Amino acid sequence: MRKLVVSLTFAGLAYLAAAPSALAQKTVLTVGVATPDVGRLDPHVATSNADRGIVAGIFNGLTRFKPGQATFENFEPDLAESWISNAGKTEWTFNLRKGVQCHREYGELTAEDVAYSLQRAADPKRSGFSADLAPLAKAEAVDKYTLKVTLKNPIPSLLGLVSNYTGGFVVCKKAAEEMGVDFARRPIGTGPFMFEEYKPQQFVRLVANKQYFRGVPKLESVIYRYIPSDASRDLAFESGEIDMLFGKQDEPWLTRMRKIPGTVAFAIEPAELNWLNFNITAKPLDDVRVRRAMMLAIDRDGITKFRGSNANRVAISVIPSSDQGAVDLKLPPVDIAKAKMLLAEAGHPNGFTIKMIGSTNPTMATSLQMYQAGLSKIGITLDVQPVDNPTFHVQIRKDLSPLVPYQAARFPIADAFLTQFYLSTSTVGTPTGVTNFSHCNVADKEIISARSELDPAKQKALWAEAQRKILDAVCAAPVYESFVLWAHKDSLVLGYELKGSMNLGPPILETTHFKK
Amino acid sequence: MHTYVVKRLLLSGITLLAVLTLIFFIVRIVPGDPARVVLGEQATTQAIDAMRQRLGLDEPLVVQYWRFLRGALVFDVGKSMVTGAPVLQVIGEVLPSTLELSAAALVLGCVIGIPLGIWSAVRRNRFADYVIRVASLLGLSFPAFVSAILLLLAFAISLRWFPVMSSGNSTGLADHLRQLVLPAVNLALIMAAYITRVSRSAMLEILREDYMRTAIAKGVPPLAVVWRHGVRNALIPVVTVTGLYLGILIGNSVLTEIVFNRPGLGKLIVGSLAQRDYTMLQGLMVAYTMIVVAINLMTDLTYGFIDPRVRYE
Repeated sequence: MRKLVVSLTFAGLAYLAAAPSALAQKTVLTVGVATPDVGRLDPHVATSNADRGIVAGIFNGLTRFKPGQATFENFEPDLAESWISNAGKTEWTFNLRKGVQCHREYGELTAEDVAYSLQRAADPKRSGFSADLAPLAKAEAVDKYTLKVTLKNPIPSLLGLVSNYTGGFVVCKKAAEEMGVDFARRPIGTGPFMFEEYKPQQFVRLVANKQYFRGVPKLESVIYRYIPSDASRDLAFESGEIDMLFGKQDEPWLTRMRKIPGTVAFAIEPAELNWLNFNITAKPLDDVRVRRAMMLAIDRDGITKFRGSNANRVAISVIPSSDQGAVDLKLPPVDIAKAKMLLAEAGHPNGFTIKMIGSTNPTMATSLQMYQAGLSKIGITLDVQPVDNPTFHVQIRKDLSPLVPYQAARFPIADAFLTQFYLSTSTVGTPTGVTNFSHCNVADKEIISARSELDPAKQKALWAEAQRKILDAVCAAPVYESFVLWAHKDSLVLGYELKGSMNLGPPILETTHFKK
Repeated sequence: MHTYVVKRLLLSGITLLAVLTLIFFIVRIVPGDPARVVLGEQATTQAIDAMRQRLGLDEPLVVQYWRFLRGALVFDVGKSMVTGAPVLQVIGEVLPSTLELSAAALVLGCVIGIPLGIWSAVRRNRFADYVIRVASLLGLSFPAFVSAILLLLAFAISLRWFPVMSSGNSTGLADHLRQLVLPAVNLALIMAAYITRVSRSAMLEILREDYMRTAIAKGVPPLAVVWRHGVRNALIPVVTVTGLYLGILIGNSVLTEIVFNRPGLGKLIVGSLAQRDYTMLQGLMVAYTMIVVAINLMTDLTYGFIDPRVRYE
C-alpha cells in the first residue's frame, strides 16, 4: 500500500511537472496549403494563391485592405500614415510611418525603399504585376519619410495599387539588391511575421517580428505545410496536426467540414466569376445570334444550384458582382425555344459541332460538362479536347480555342476585370495581350474614359455602360461565382471579422491567437 | 570483375547522355511555359517575353542544349526556373527521403514476401497457398492511393498510432521511425505481393529439380531440404526482379509521397512537371537515371555472391 502511495505521488508530481507545457497557450499556428511546394516568396513574382497568403504576413503596403475585407471602399493606412493628391489626381504624396523596421536588422524602412519597390513592381523583368503599375510615371523619395508618386494619367485605383496586394507590397531595398534572385527564397519585409525556415515540399516557417510597428504578434510562429492531396489535408486537420486549411472548392467539402466538432468552415470573398468567352471573330461565333443562343442555353441557376448555393452564387454581370462598379445586368433566363430560333435564323437549324480546348482541372472540367449538357439541348456539340492546366493556359493565350471557359477574380474594381478581359489591347495573341480571349472591342471607349474620370458617379456610369455593351455583343456568357473555402479550429481567434481576403486566405495578423 | 565494372560504368555514361538528351528535348516539346508560371496569369505578353529572355529560353534550342550539357559535365545542372533554388541542392534535400522510404519498403517487402512465397510453394494447392495467392493478388491490384487512405483512416485517425503527415516535425529517431511506418507499409504491400509471387514461382521450379528429389529420398529432413537446397537457388530470380523492381518502386513512390505528405523525388517531379520547370526536370532525370544504373549494377554484382557459378568477364 505504501509503495502504491509513493508511486502515485511520483506520478502526480510528474504530471504536474509536465502540466505547464500541456496547459500552456498554443502559440504555433499550422496552416495546410494545397500546393506541393512553395513557389516564390518575392511579393512581386508571388503569383500563386498559396505564395500570396504567406507573402501577406511578411510584407506591408502603403495602404491596406481593412483586415477581413476584400472591397475597394475599405482601405486604411499601413506603411503610410496619410496621403494627399493634386486636383488632377496625378501627383500623390505619402507620409510614411517613422520607425518601421525591416526584418533581420536591415534597418529602418524609408521612402527610398518604397520608391524602389514601386519601380521594381512596375518593371516587367522583375514583376508579374507590371501591367497594373503601367500608369506609374515616377516614384521618388522627397525626404526620408515622404514619397511622391507621379502618374502618367489619373487612375481610379491608386490607393489599391499601393495596398497590401500583389505589386503594392513594399520590399526592403538593401535586402532585395543584396540577395538578387535569392530574395524569393529569403524574403525581407516589415510585416508581423519574418521568414525563418523552408524545407522543400514540407513547410515554410515564419516567426513573430518582435519589432512589428503594430505590436508584438501573439503567435510565435506560423507554419505553412504543403499538402497537395485534398484527402490528406482534411485528415491532417481532423487528426489535429494542422489548425487551418485551404478547402477543396466545392460545397460537399464545406458541408463535411462543418460537421467536424470544433471546426469553423467558411466561404469568403472575393468570389471568382466563372464564365464562357466567345471568340467573336471565329466562325460560327462571329454571328451574335449564335453567341446569344448559346448564352440562352446555359442554365445559370441550375448550374449554381448543382454546385451548391453556400459555396457559389449566380453571376449578375460580365465582371464579378463584388467589384466596385459591377451592375446587375438582369441576365436573361435560360430559354431553349428562343435559343433554337436564333440558331435557325443564323443558318444553323440543326446546331453544329465546335471544337474547344478544356482544362483537366476538376472544377473547370465539371463546369464544362454542364455547359456541354446545356448546349446539347439546342443541337450544339462541344467537342472538348482536355489538356492539363499549364498547357491549357498556354494554348488559350495562343488563341487556339474559340471558346474559353475561365474562372477568375481580380483587384475588386471594375477597371481591372474590364481591362484584362474585354479591352481590345488585351486581346490574346497580340504583344500587349493579357486575357481578352473573346477579342471583344465594343467597350474600349468606356473602359478607357472611366479610368481618368474623376467624378465617381460618371465613372460608375461608364463602367455600367461598358458591361452592358459587352453583354449586348455577347463577348461572354457569365454563369456563376464561386467563393474561396477555408476552415480552422474554433480555438483560433483571427482577431478581426472575416468576410473576405484579397490574398484568398484569412490574413494572419499580430492579433491572431489561440484561446486558452 | 574490375574490367566488368569499368565497362558497365562506361555504358552507364552513354545511357545517361541519351537520357539527358531525350529529356531535354521532350520537356521542351510539351506545351507550357515556365515564364508564364513564374509571372502568373495576369502577366502581359511583353512581360512573359522579358522573363523568357531572362531565363535564357529565347535562345536557340541547340545553344540551350550545349549550355546544359556543359553544365551537366561538371555536375552543375543550374537553378530551378520557378523558385531560383539550385537544382542539386533541392534534389539533395529530398533524395534521402525517397531512398529511405524505398529501402524501408524493400526490406519490409522482402521480409514479408520471400517467406510467404516459399511457404506458398511448399504448401502448393493447400489452404495456405490459396490464401497467400489471393492476398498477393489483392496486394498487386490494390491502388496505392486507396490503401494509403485506408491505412491513414485506420491507424492515424481511428487508432491515432501514427501521424497523418509523415515528415517535417520529427523530434527524434523514434518519432522519425513512427512517421516512416505507414508510408513504408503502404509501399511494401505492393512490393511484398510482387516478391511473394516471384518467390513462389521460383521455389516451385526448384522443388521439381532432381537434386531436391534426391535429397528427400536420402532422408534429409524436409525443412533442411527447403532451406539448404531450395531457398538459395530460388533467390537468384528473386534478386533479379527485386533489383529491377526497386527502380520502379522509386518511381512508384510518388503516390505514397503525396498522400502521406512526404518529401521525395516523385513529389518533386510531379510539381516540376506541372510548373514546366525544365532545369529541375533535367536534374531529376539525371538523379533517376543514376539511381537506376547503380541499382542494376549492384544487382548484377550480387549474383556472384548468391550463385558462385556466375563469372564476370
